[in-house]
Amino acid sequence: MIEFSSVGLRYGQGPEILKDLSFRIDPGTFHFLTGPSGSGKTSLLKLLLLSLKPTRGTVTMFGEDVRELDQDRLLLMRRHIGIVFQEFRLLDHLTTFENVALPLRVLGQPEVQYRSNVEELLEWVGLGERMDALPPLLSGGEKQRAAIARAVIARPDILLADEPTGNLDPDLSKRLVTLFAELNRTGTTIILATHELTLLDSFDFPRMVLEDGELAFS
Amino acid sequence: MTDALRPTRPRTAPIVPERSVAGRTLLLLIAIMTFLSALTLGGVVLVQKSAIAWSADVGREVTIQIKPVAGEVMESNLRLAVSLAEATPGVASARALSLEESQNLLKPWLGEGLDLSTLEIPRMVAVQLSDPQDADIGKLANDLKSIKGASLDTHAAWRQQLNTMAGAIVVSGLLVLALIVVATVLAIIFATRGTMATNREIVDVLHFIGASNSFIAGEFQGRFLLIGFRGGIIGGLGAVLFFLIIALVAGNAGPTDVSAQFGLLFGRFAIGYDGVAGIAAVIPVIAAMTAITSRFTVRRFLSQIS
Repeated sequence: MIEFSSVGLRYGQGPEILKDLSFRIDPGTFHFLTGPSGSGKTSLLKLLLLSLKPTRGTVTMFGEDVRELDQDRLLLMRRHIGIVFQEFRLLDHLTTFENVALPLRVLGQPEVQYRSNVEELLEWVGLGERMDALPPLLSGGEKQRAAIARAVIARPDILLADEPTGNLDPDLSKRLVTLFAELNRTGTTIILATHELTLLDSFDFPRMVLEDGELAFS
Repeated sequence: MTDALRPTRPRTAPIVPERSVAGRTLLLLIAIMTFLSALTLGGVVLVQKSAIAWSADVGREVTIQIKPVAGEVMESNLRLAVSLAEATPGVASARALSLEESQNLLKPWLGEGLDLSTLEIPRMVAVQLSDPQDADIGKLANDLKSIKGASLDTHAAWRQQLNTMAGAIVVSGLLVLALIVVATVLAIIFATRGTMATNREIVDVLHFIGASNSFIAGEFQGRFLLIGFRGGIIGGLGAVLFFLIIALVAGNAGPTDVSAQFGLLFGRFAIGYDGVAGIAAVIPVIAAMTAITSRFTVRRFLSQIS
């Protein structure tokens, strides 16, 4: 599904942020991506989200070399990838329902077609009673669950999460990772970036450890 | 809960919030630009209409002037001139102006109360043409050579001057219109770039969830099209109202004869149905221009950040 071969990344003429990354992620797996701040976790996620192209090496996703893809093809491929950010990135003028439905609106689906699916998903993540609330009125945990719902509503093959529990207390963090694990059981490939050791120790998933731009598996 | 009992969800909110677009300022700007465009267009229509009307009026008449010459009898020369004119193809009628009428023509230059009876003044024959194109003016000019002191004035030089002046005003008006369009386009580009910068978070989120540039551009374009239409309608209606008021004020500006002379000289200040249609046509043009310019700017912005 995802294959990196001797991938390097640098910004402009700066030093290499990611060095010689070679790994393979199989469909339906769950990986933690961890490492100290500044180790390149976010840059690696950007490569996986197709926001950046490698400066050397080859990134193959869904069987295609991402460097060969034009802008339109990249956008189409991005629809197979969901993303959850630490800072949620919900649109404040849209209700929880509308935020979660956004990827389906982008796909051109009418509301009558997606309404029940969105409501069902919001019930599943525990936001059934908060559908019409605007994000500024939601708690941190509620916002993150809404962001997760938005990331998975279009049934992506891969779900990326960049420090999704960074703004949450430990209990809520564990509950959210459990939610990711449940999604993984339905077949979604998950890569969750975090540097919280207690969280990593609470779950038995393989870890990709980035240190100084180099990757090790544990 | 069944679908029938479920409370109706309010209409889905637009992805680009209305208030986030520099709406009111842009609306005002487009309204002003439409007003100025319509005003310029209306002015051009007025000048062109008046020039055509003046030229046509003047073209339907030629004047024979007979200067007093020693030994010649003015009255018989006048009669001869009238009969020569009437015998010319394309002439509808010819009439010699009476002595009193001729004296009246000099009053604006010589003043009132002057006794002109002792002064020999040139006399005029007003010749109305039935068809200015077919009238044989050359033959009339030739025939008039038999009358001493007679000359023919076709007002051609004056008409040419008038047409040149009207043409210059029309070209200047169109130039002003083009400059207004350029200024409007630039203002829309700045407003769009400002809006895109303000809404960068929305653009980024849409990109992350796989929205294409054309989808994002469409969301913004819809907003700008609406603003363009509203601004266009406000400005266009303002211009029509302005011309109506001007026509009313000009029509009632003074006594009837003054008003008539004013109308004769400057036209009736009425742009007519075609002028109103022209102003109405400005509205969709401005709206479309707003939408196209903003779409182009948004696409450019998106390709720069992609």
